[in-house]
Amino acid sequence: MLSLALKNIFRYRLRSFLTMAGVAIGMFLFTTVETMQQSLAKVTRSGADDTTLVVFRENRFCPSTSRLPEHYLASIEQVEGVRKAIPIQIAVNNCGASLDVITFRGVPPGSLLEYNSDLEVVDGSAADWTKRSDAALVGQTFAQRRGLRTGDQFEAVGINVYVAGIIKSQEVQDNNVAYVHLPFLQQASKIGLGTVTQFNVKVESAEILDPVAQKIDAIFSSDSHPTVTRPEKAFFAETAKQMIELIGFTRWLGLGAVAAVLALVANAVLLIVRGRLKETAVLQTLGFSRFRIARLITCEGLLLGLLGGALGVGSAVLFLHWQSFTLGNEGLTLAITPSATVLFHGLLVALALGFTASLYPAWRASRQPLVESLNAG
Amino acid sequence: MSNLNQIQPSDPMSTSLIQIHSLTKSFTKGQNVITPLDNLSLEVSRGEFLALMGPSGSGKTTLLNLIAGIDAASSGKLIIDSQDLGSLSRAQLTKWRSVNVGYIFQLYHLVPILSAYENVELPLLLQSLTRSERRTRVETALELVGLSDRMHHRPNELSGGQEQRVAIARAIVHDPGLLVADEPTGDLDRESAETILDLLRSLSRDLDKTIVMVTHDPRAAAIADRALHLEKGQLVSQLQ
Repeated sequence: MLSLALKNIFRYRLRSFLTMAGVAIGMFLFTTVETMQQSLAKVTRSGADDTTLVVFRENRFCPSTSRLPEHYLASIEQVEGVRKAIPIQIAVNNCGASLDVITFRGVPPGSLLEYNSDLEVVDGSAADWTKRSDAALVGQTFAQRRGLRTGDQFEAVGINVYVAGIIKSQEVQDNNVAYVHLPFLQQASKIGLGTVTQFNVKVESAEILDPVAQKIDAIFSSDSHPTVTRPEKAFFAETAKQMIELIGFTRWLGLGAVAAVLALVANAVLLIVRGRLKETAVLQTLGFSRFRIARLITCEGLLLGLLGGALGVGSAVLFLHWQSFTLGNEGLTLAITPSATVLFHGLLVALALGFTASLYPAWRASRQPLVESLNAG
Repeated sequence: MSNLNQIQPSDPMSTSLIQIHSLTKSFTKGQNVITPLDNLSLEVSRGEFLALMGPSGSGKTTLLNLIAGIDAASSGKLIIDSQDLGSLSRAQLTKWRSVNVGYIFQLYHLVPILSAYENVELPLLLQSLTRSERRTRVETALELVGLSDRMHHRPNELSGGQEQRVAIARAIVHDPGLLVADEPTGDLDRESAETILDLLRSLSRDLDKTIVMVTHDPRAAAIADRALHLEKGQLVSQLQ
């Protein structure tokens, strides 16, 4: 049955190709939207294993307006429940929403790997980075987007750095930034030594995120530089509200694409049924049951959906992987990264669409009157 | 030629494969009731080659379709090999057809995307056979119609006569007792038509197939054991 369905699909190559191309375009759009939604969920939805707080200057708008004394670190580290803390200076090329945001994070060279133990240097070496003051450890997604390799020199935000290594991390943000030495960035960005943008703080467990945040803010509330401490993901969700709304809207585009694919496949399969009226009647004369006829038509719809879907989903995944789009806002980044889940989901949707779209045509084909169809011109 | 609607089989001693009693088929078209087959009775012996003749609209194709189990009678009885077709549901009739009937169309009706081999294999896909069992049967059927060397050709690579031989192979591959043929030579040149008629004759004579054939061609009817003439849904004459 499958082989007969496949042969039928390739019988009218142009028509099948056009249908599959239409399905592919729709599923490309759907997969892109799904990838955006999922990438957004990854950076904004807090989970039980999220134990990172970010300490900012109160009323900050952009990393450039958040200036905190570096010596706050000692006080933060003493708060009960704090496991590790690290001062970070941030320099970005664009503070608003941007598709190509470049973020430098200046950290004390000796503290980075200790603070972030799941950071893995996949190319180059951490030792080189520690030794050289203008060295950068570049996140994998950032490096891919910019075409950077170990040993390259590059300039951005008026800062010239040497790529000492490429890193990857479970933390999405780490893959989209370049880590440089804190004193180097403080001087290069003209902020001056002793001032940082934020402190990243790891606490003992997710349950104590809020109490620890409150304690930290309480310490500095009367200081000349009061702080606001929040979980990193909650911070992103708040600052990137407009971007999130925009991405939320794209869900409708995804649904539109799905509806278009459904209509396209249904129309194509209906045309197939109409074009094979007599042939179907001949099969019924030979003894093919109504159910078997319906199965044959459904099989063709499924194949059209699956082949077109695989083309669209596959090309979307490859496109997003190679293009490495990154949306940025206020120094935090959202990498539009396709995942296996999106791929699987896309294929499943394509299969379901092919099946749903062919139900009515299959029913029509199986119900056509046999003798009249045989006599049809 | 008295009471021609009650014609008996040519050999009264043989067992009838097909028994038709007062069979009527009528349908409504607009305001009119059309009766292509009117109160017809007939018996056909096992292994008999029967030709049905008559002008267009005489009811011969309707009778053929009823015998093949692809149409349902309005009234009367149609019993084939002790099976009352009127008592079968649509699904049962489809199943019965897949086992007992081979249908040969005037315009062959081969599936154009399939090779001769694959076309002949189609009825076997409905049976629980292994691939090698199917292969043996398909090759035998194609050999029988003399097309072993064309089994991988598609219909558009075959002549009309060859296409009809593939259609005959498709009709006999599952070894049905009854073959129905609707003007099998109607679209063929004289030479090809004779080949097809010889083939049908030998299927009846050598393999004991019961054949009911609709034809307009008196030469085709002449090779049958019996020829019946229909007009206005009724039998009007018999040639033996």
